[in-house]
Amino acid sequence: MNVMSEDYNIMTNEKQIARSVMRNILFKIENLSKSYQMGEVTVEALKDVSFEIYDGEFVVILGPSGSGKSTLLNIIGGMDVPSSGKVYFKEQDITDYNEKKLTNFRRKDVGFIFQFYNLLGNLTARENIELAVEICEDTLDIDEVIRAVNLQDRANHFPSQMSGGEQQRVAIARAASKNPEVMLCDEPTGALDFETGISILKVLKQVNQEFKRTVIVITHNTPVAQMADRVLKMRSGRIIESYTNDTPIDPERIEW
Amino acid sequence: MKKLNLRLFRMIKHSKGQNIAILIVVITGLFTYTAMNSAITNLETSLLEFYDLTNFGDVYVQMMHFPEGEVHNLENLDNVKEVDARIVFDAPMITSNRDEKVSVRIVTVDKYENRINKLFLEKGSRAIGDREALIQKQFAEARNIAVGDTITVQINGVRYPLLIKGLVSSPEFTYVMEDEQALMPRPDKFGIIFLEKDFVGLITGMKGIYNDLVLTLEDESKYEETEKLFKNRFDKYGIIRIIEKEDQLSNSVMFEEINGVKQISGFIPIVFLFVAAAILSAMISRNVKNDRLVIGILKALGYSNGQVLWHYIMYAVSIGSVGGVVGIFTGTLMSGVMTRMYLEFFYIPLLKVKIDPMNIISAVVLTTIFCTIAGLYGARRVLKISPAESMRPEVPKEGNRILLEKIPSIWNKVTFTWKIVFRNIFRDKKKFAFISLGAAFTVAMSLMTFWLSDLTGSMFTDHYGSFMKMDYSVKFSQPLSRNALIDLEKIIKPDYIEGKIEMPFEISNGRLTKAVNVIGLQQGSRFFDFKDYQGNTVDLPKTGALLSYNLAKSLEVDVGDAVLIHNYIPGRSDVYVEVKGIIKQILGINVYMDISHMEILTGKGSYNGAYMNTKENIGEDLNSLKSISGVQSIGEMQDAFMEYLDLTILAIVFMVIFSGLLGFVIIYSMTILSINERSMEFSSLRVLGFTKAEIFGIILKENSVMSALGFLYGLPMGKILIDALRTVYVSDLYTFDAPINAKNILYAYIFTTICLTIAQLITYKKIRTLNFIEALKSRTS
Repeated sequence: MNVMSEDYNIMTNEKQIARSVMRNILFKIENLSKSYQMGEVTVEALKDVSFEIYDGEFVVILGPSGSGKSTLLNIIGGMDVPSSGKVYFKEQDITDYNEKKLTNFRRKDVGFIFQFYNLLGNLTARENIELAVEICEDTLDIDEVIRAVNLQDRANHFPSQMSGGEQQRVAIARAASKNPEVMLCDEPTGALDFETGISILKVLKQVNQEFKRTVIVITHNTPVAQMADRVLKMRSGRIIESYTNDTPIDPERIEW
Repeated sequence: MKKLNLRLFRMIKHSKGQNIAILIVVITGLFTYTAMNSAITNLETSLLEFYDLTNFGDVYVQMMHFPEGEVHNLENLDNVKEVDARIVFDAPMITSNRDEKVSVRIVTVDKYENRINKLFLEKGSRAIGDREALIQKQFAEARNIAVGDTITVQINGVRYPLLIKGLVSSPEFTYVMEDEQALMPRPDKFGIIFLEKDFVGLITGMKGIYNDLVLTLEDESKYEETEKLFKNRFDKYGIIRIIEKEDQLSNSVMFEEINGVKQISGFIPIVFLFVAAAILSAMISRNVKNDRLVIGILKALGYSNGQVLWHYIMYAVSIGSVGGVVGIFTGTLMSGVMTRMYLEFFYIPLLKVKIDPMNIISAVVLTTIFCTIAGLYGARRVLKISPAESMRPEVPKEGNRILLEKIPSIWNKVTFTWKIVFRNIFRDKKKFAFISLGAAFTVAMSLMTFWLSDLTGSMFTDHYGSFMKMDYSVKFSQPLSRNALIDLEKIIKPDYIEGKIEMPFEISNGRLTKAVNVIGLQQGSRFFDFKDYQGNTVDLPKTGALLSYNLAKSLEVDVGDAVLIHNYIPGRSDVYVEVKGIIKQILGINVYMDISHMEILTGKGSYNGAYMNTKENIGEDLNSLKSISGVQSIGEMQDAFMEYLDLTILAIVFMVIFSGLLGFVIIYSMTILSINERSMEFSSLRVLGFTKAEIFGIILKENSVMSALGFLYGLPMGKILIDALRTVYVSDLYTFDAPINAKNILYAYIFTTICLTIAQLITYKKIRTLNFIEALKSRTS
């Protein structure tokens, strides 16, 4: 069993090496650690994590709650700073960035999607998207993105008038329309029912394929990993497994 | 519109109740600032232009007699630029209504044009000759006198019909009062007429002699040296008093009002803008707290700290701008109305109601500064919010025991709701301070208003009625002997009459000098009720003098000190007089002496006036007497005051509204904030079975405890305001010295309670409509 497992790892590593030769490294994470204080307790959310993300990949980071997924995503996205370690984005060390550079990085290069959509309640769907686009250059055509997420008829509705799935699609459209290098999705289906969840995953795949964006999804939902190009498994602040899917399946075929 | 601005717009629209409340405060502040400042700028610039145009005199001298031959010498006195020598005296005007007592001040002028205090011709012609007169416009209008009409004036017992050649205004009489004690103009009862110098000299037998001089100086700063030179040189002609331009009656009243309004217009808007800024800052701070997640999202989307901070500052600036524009616009409109209101009292022919850009600019700058600071202060926490942290639920605020909890004997007896009340009060100390400050503001301002209203209401009734008890005060055209007074009594048949001597003298204590009327009264006079500040009766001393409080204060003398009375009567010397008592006198400043003792100043045995009481209307009898040059009816003075009172009531109504508004807005805004902030807590209480009324009760109790503290320190705050007002309106003409009485305090408390209760009741609607279930869903953005 152990031998088989080692063989598997060797195989996947070879494949990864082969891929990395062909594709550019987008993120390079080196020995990343993060601890923070919760009252009197020190929580070690990340412990010496290292990995790479390649341009155009669909990556799923899989792990139970409290495994450090969200902390990792926040640091990659420039929303939080590590206690130690480095994050290179296109060979630039973003952990060295000052507040202004980090803001610029979030503005130009990152699109966030959150579990609870986090739309601004007093702006309509379209306005929420425009809010993001207004401060960016080289953005996508808003109407095109709205069509892509199939929200043409709901564009002028306020979040409170929309279902969870619709709100998450607005959030995806908001992130995608900025035309960022990477989409970071924190449990995008976590608050949705199965069918709606699947529809959201489809949209994310579509963004990955049609708009050629790198997508990183963090989830605790194991079946979602089946659609990823690559999967990183986390537990207790560490990456415990990393593997590549040779044949990522269509989101429609995922079941949980 | 940028989407963040759109969000801001919707945010403002969403909490419109609170925003309207803040807007009202900003508008009120800016409205007062602009209205008062513009009106006062109009008044001041027009007045100065008028002075410039008419060559307003720098020094006014009242003399016993000044010979024409000395005018040239006076002109050659060092620093004297121009001189106008005149005859000035009061005389009765004969009217068709025989009961009416009207007097005029006759001022002589040159035939064509004066060098100093030139007359501004409003109608008719300036040139006058014998038996022709120019008449002060306000008096003419009040009495319906037109160019071409004839008026009759009695001079030295002879009636002179005078043809009106023109209606004029003089810089010396923009505010026309008979004397310092009249306080208010009575344009229909007292006016100024200008007669040709030679004609008056001829009919009064004063040809070549003047009793009044007006000078202009080369250098106003050298006034004191010139005064000294003048006194040395011309004292022999009997200098009654020398008045510098600043103390000239009309001019000093004008500038007292201008400066008073300037100070108030600086103070009131600051209070209002401060309150608006504090509420805005509290609201923004709450918004930032509630928007923690939104701020995180915006930062995640790539919005910079500056952009997010500006978003919240914009909120304050928007409210400030809208309030500012409305306040400045309505204030500018109101300034026209206010300027016209002033015209009822002051008359400046060149008065221009114009918009002063500087006033508008300063109002805009003032609002911008206040709102930006409020915004920055309220939104400063934006900078600290990290996008990653904002996505996690907020760590509950650390709970601490309050002081009261450490005393179990008390704490254990406190009911559950009162425990919540006390904990909340002491946990949010800023809110505690602000709400109590709101109550204190309202108590303080309403206390000042009720005190002021009490004061103005009683000012005249206290002075004319309680302090001065005569029906009439008459001036004789010549000094009369005791026997002549008895003859006069036989003719008029008053119920009671007392002769008096009232003469202006300069009183000094060291370098401090005041020109005041010294009044000689009979021992046991029935016409004055002298009291000290403690309310004790003070008897007229047989020797020495009583000084009114304001006079004693400005001369810095106390009972037992001596003051020097400078005697201008030729042949009589200056006299030191001991201060035997200091009395309360609301209007004017005076010295009172026993009439026999006053002979040390004036010489033996004569009266120059009398006080009398009578139920009969004796106007006709008095007018027909040659020996009487002027009559003041106390009843008429009170009537004139009632007209003035209308204006005061209007001002007081405004002040009451302002003070109520402050308390209302503070309590309303803070309560709404509190309800919004604590919707989770209230929802939990609802789940526990609390009724809406019980939850409202908790808020009510909290606010009541916090306001109660404000009620306590509102009183000393009110006293500070009242003292400030007393300092602003310090004047020889009147004293704002009424004590704060229990009635004032009671009214202030009742009024504040009403305002705060209304504010509270309105917030009940918020409790009623609050969606408790929705509030329990904590992750809404």
